Amino acid sequence: MTTATLETPNQTKPAKQKVILCEGNEAAALGVALARPDMVAVYPITPQSSLVEHVAKLIADGRMDADIVDAEGEHSVLSVLQGAALAGARTYTATCGPGLAFMFEPYFRTSGMRLPIVMSIVTRDGITPQSVWGGHQDAMTVREVGWVQVYCETVQEVLDTTIMAFKIAEHHDVMLPVNVCLDGNYLSYGTSRVELPDQAEVDAFMGVKDVNWHVALDPLRPMAVDPLTGGSGGKGPSTFVRYRKGQCRGMQNSLRVIEEVHEEWAQRFGRRFAPLVEDYRLDGADYAIMTLGSMTGAAKDAIDEARDAGKRVGLIKIKTFSPFPVDALLKSLEKIQALGVVDRSVGFRWNCGPMYQETMGVLYRLGRQVPSMSFIGGLAGADITVGHFHRVIEATEKLLTNPAPTEPAWLNERD
Amino acid sequence: MEHTKYLVVGSSHAALEAVTAIRMHDADGSLTLLTRDAHLPYSPTVLPYVVSGRSAADDVFLRDETFFATNRVEFKRGSALKALHAARNAAELADGSEIAYEKLLLATGAAPAIPPIPGIDQVSYHVLRTLDDATKLHAAIKQSKQAVVLGAGLVGMHAAENLVKAGANVTIVEMAKQLTDGYFDPVAAQMIEKAFTDHGARILTGSRVVKLAPSAAFGTPGTTLTLENGTTLEADLLLVATGVKPNMDYLDDGGSGVEHDRGILVSDTMQTSVANVWAAGDCAQAKGFFTEAKVMNAILPDATEQGRIAGMAMAGDPGLKYYPGGVPLNTYHFFGRHAISVGSSKLPEGGEVLTRFDEASGRYLKAIFKDGRLLGIFGVNEFFDGGVMCQLILRRVDLSAVKERFMANPLAVGRELMSQLWR
Amino acid sequence: MGRGYNTIAFDAAKCDGCGDCMTACATAKTGTEDKTRSRIQIVGSGDDGFELALCRQCGDPKCVTVCPAAALTKNAESGVIEWDAAKCVDCLLCTIGCAYAGIALDSGTGHVAKCDTCDGAPACVPACPHDALTYITTSRIYNEVGGWEDLFTPGLAGCQGCNTELLMRHTLRRVGPDTVLATPPGCVPGMGSVGFNGTTGTKVPVFHPLLTNTAAMLAGIKRQYKRVGREVNALAIAGDGGASDVGFQSLSGAAERNEQILFMVVDNEGYMNTGMQRSSCTPYGAWTSTTPIGRGSGGMPAQGKTQDAKNLPLIMVNHRCEYVATASTAYMEDFYDKLGKAIEASKRGFAYLHVYSPCTTGWRFPTDQNMEVARKAVETNFVTLWEYTPNEGLRLTRPVDDPMPVTEYLKAMGRFRHLSPDQISHIQGKVVENLAFVKQMIHRSSV
Repeated sequence: MTTATLETPNQTKPAKQKVILCEGNEAAALGVALARPDMVAVYPITPQSSLVEHVAKLIADGRMDADIVDAEGEHSVLSVLQGAALAGARTYTATCGPGLAFMFEPYFRTSGMRLPIVMSIVTRDGITPQSVWGGHQDAMTVREVGWVQVYCETVQEVLDTTIMAFKIAEHHDVMLPVNVCLDGNYLSYGTSRVELPDQAEVDAFMGVKDVNWHVALDPLRPMAVDPLTGGSGGKGPSTFVRYRKGQCRGMQNSLRVIEEVHEEWAQRFGRRFAPLVEDYRLDGADYAIMTLGSMTGAAKDAIDEARDAGKRVGLIKIKTFSPFPVDALLKSLEKIQALGVVDRSVGFRWNCGPMYQETMGVLYRLGRQVPSMSFIGGLAGADITVGHFHRVIEATEKLLTNPAPTEPAWLNERD
Repeated sequence: MEHTKYLVVGSSHAALEAVTAIRMHDADGSLTLLTRDAHLPYSPTVLPYVVSGRSAADDVFLRDETFFATNRVEFKRGSALKALHAARNAAELADGSEIAYEKLLLATGAAPAIPPIPGIDQVSYHVLRTLDDATKLHAAIKQSKQAVVLGAGLVGMHAAENLVKAGANVTIVEMAKQLTDGYFDPVAAQMIEKAFTDHGARILTGSRVVKLAPSAAFGTPGTTLTLENGTTLEADLLLVATGVKPNMDYLDDGGSGVEHDRGILVSDTMQTSVANVWAAGDCAQAKGFFTEAKVMNAILPDATEQGRIAGMAMAGDPGLKYYPGGVPLNTYHFFGRHAISVGSSKLPEGGEVLTRFDEASGRYLKAIFKDGRLLGIFGVNEFFDGGVMCQLILRRVDLSAVKERFMANPLAVGRELMSQLWR
Repeated sequence: MGRGYNTIAFDAAKCDGCGDCMTACATAKTGTEDKTRSRIQIVGSGDDGFELALCRQCGDPKCVTVCPAAALTKNAESGVIEWDAAKCVDCLLCTIGCAYAGIALDSGTGHVAKCDTCDGAPACVPACPHDALTYITTSRIYNEVGGWEDLFTPGLAGCQGCNTELLMRHTLRRVGPDTVLATPPGCVPGMGSVGFNGTTGTKVPVFHPLLTNTAAMLAGIKRQYKRVGREVNALAIAGDGGASDVGFQSLSGAAERNEQILFMVVDNEGYMNTGMQRSSCTPYGAWTSTTPIGRGSGGMPAQGKTQDAKNLPLIMVNHRCEYVATASTAYMEDFYDKLGKAIEASKRGFAYLHVYSPCTTGWRFPTDQNMEVARKAVETNFVTLWEYTPNEGLRLTRPVDDPMPVTEYLKAMGRFRHLSPDQISHIQGKVVENLAFVKQMIHRSSV
């Protein structure tokens, strides 16, 4: 292994960083270790398993000082963490697919209790048909439950974002749980070169641990957590409404905090990731394709080739999916005349991809007609290749002149 | 002026029960207990046993200072109530000071009633109502060779027995036709009389003393008694035990307006005719159980009952139940035998008397019924549970079906009924 | 503050009037076998049954108040009304004061005599061949517990006569203020323990877990406090439904991991808070709102639950927890003993207490009958009281060798009113089988 110093124009001071080769799951585990959680609860599930195995090994080797609970299922995994968080712990877990579905009951509740738990979703497609492969269906299914959800593009981004997630979650203006989504198969098992931040530098970045300052189950200051509220009389309705409104405010605050934390990360560690929305070669583009997660790498290659071929096409990548970055996305969409949105999951209700559906709402705010269409690809571990993206680019280009199709384009239907 | 929420005057059974009842409901209200006596609280009923020496004079106290401290009671001894100024809620004491009260209980008891016999102010005599009386009498009986007891009530009879046992020649003079009149019937009285005469006492029932004069017959200050029939008796010790009268002079001295007859008239909650003033015990005249008329029922169990009711009423205890009316209850030991009397000894119209008497064992039982209900039961050497009998009377339990069994064994049948009815 | 005292209790239904108690008393107190001199007197006849004349050691003793000689006093420590021979003047006024024939003349001595409970070891009690007499020492609990703070607020909205509220208050007082309390959905929070709209019903930190994740959340709390070096009790007061049905997985998981939790199940045999639906702890034949009584279909009448109850505590034994026990509020000494052991065990690992808790509303019996129903459940062997530790194995803490027929229990409440003879015999058979099963486990753990 070699040690390298990364030079970037924005770096104010060089951070010593070890360079290693590892898969995305290990990168996530290393990020967790650097963030120093108090408690980790785990239950294995493909393709997340190697992540929690790495965490367990780090703890077993004394490289990570955390209590690990091998719970009997994902439902208890998240429940254990809720309890620990209510007692003041920094907490972490990871899951995906059926595991996420099984933990949905406590999952729903985590954001309501404003517990800053960080959970990786090593994304996996939904069953059934039975499948153990990657896809965004699991994370997309729970996008309306009040968790912050960010999607990573690279293994390095997985490591860095996992650390940043704790800081975002625990920010007093946020106090919400955060999902760091890394694509099953492509990021979880994809091995690449990773720069490993120095622990002391991460400690300085994280600052003094101040978890759960606003509510805790502590005999020294007894209180009731989550009493029954709501109903149609007395203080019930207003109490409930104020809770909900506070959650929504926390979600909106997180957009600012995500940007601030990414900026600080870039300052300290020299790696700058677009916090909400990334524009890639969008200047001078007539139209764009839109991506999420690891597919973006192949998409960028296709864009480069298309640009080289004279096509006026650019790319918009979403990193922060929940809360949906409406204002940031509007700025990107202002630059283009047509849009193709590639989803790695299905929105059954609108017969399109979920990100496409969300984007339609933003396009309405744009105040002008932008022809657009939905592409669905990469389901159940399928690869979205550069070739697929060229088809996406071609189809999107046609939107400038031809009527937009009402059906989505299914990319891997004949692979 | 000193102020107290509760002022209780007196320190015997009625007063002490009232204190307990008040404290059950009001743990904090200021409470003052006043007694003219210099001693800790004691019972007049125990005094005959102090006289006999069975009870030591310093070992008969019903409460100690710790009790008053624990219950936050201001206990003032040697402090007599002189006048009650009920209109301004104030009690004037013998020393001229006053205590302002919010609620007052008069439990001042009774004092010996001294008969107006000519010459009585010329002679020295004993009475028995206070501990000091008892201590004096206890010392005197040891010296006495020839004693006369005026009055054959329970106090007089107890003292007479003590004198007999101390070796004196004892004469009992009683105006009534029998001993223990009002406590026991003629049959029982006859048994009592026989026990006394068997032990050498002389009983003069139906006799009245008409004159008393100092006598020097024994070398010590003695008394010559002249009876109505002209007989004279010499006594080196004279005990006047002709009954008691309530202590209530303070009512008139202060113009209290508290109505009184033979005693202080009280309601079913022991309240007097005047606001904020209650009375209980030997000084009170309350409803009888067998008659709506107000009666004197100067017995220990009634004093505790009345004191408790008064205390609850004063403290505003919602658990208060009205006084059911006084039931006569007495026990009496004489020369190793015991007599128990529960209820009314009067035979009402349409009533029925059942008796059982076994001369050999000296066991005597008498019961009075009306409409199958027990009104009174009396026994000599026949033990039964007086408390159970009292309940049978108070509850007006119909004993028609078990009357014969009851007379044969009041102890067992009484308990059987108890177990079915209220245990 | 008043005190509770030990007392001799008498069960008239068990007395056959043999008089052995009187002989024992007379022997102990007079050195004779003269039953008339016994301080305890069996009265009555075979026809009407037997009753007792015995000092009740009254709280407001009339015998004491009418004694002129201060010879009778109530001992504030023992509660016994003590008779001082040296002070007594034999006046017998006490016998007039007592309405219960509790103090009477002893013909052998000429003095009064009364029960002094033989200084806390009454001779009459063991002499009774029919267990009609018992010496109740539960007062110890009252006296101890009376001084502890009730850590629930007044005015919880339990049903009238609710056993669960009683149990909650006792339990939390004993466990103490250094506790985090989990009350999953059910009667416990339903009556307001977690409060409503910003109020709270509990003086310790309290929360609603999900119905499904109580044990897991508590595990997280306990572990974090351990991690930071703080001694905090993690206590669950949960219902049987959540524990045995939908929350069983997290319960089992936490038990297997030996999490340091005290998990108490208040077993009222159904989802009573939400309208009395069936749970897997509902016994065979019981009416619930989801196992109603009706004509049925296909010729099969609906007659209540058609399956037997899941025996959750025995399942917990098979997790080899640090401590597992069943208890009943009808036997509070037994309960407190187990609660104490469970608290200690929870410092080492998982402790599980299963308390049978009759529900006046859901089981359909009068609100004043809770203790009676709880008692009959035990005395018919419908439920058994036992405890388990990994070292000592299983042991019955209150064996009932001569049980009442199960019908005595069944007829005490409305939910079994419809039972057919076949159903009753099924239940009686299950009682026998369940007891035999427990005894087999006792045998296994003693080998």
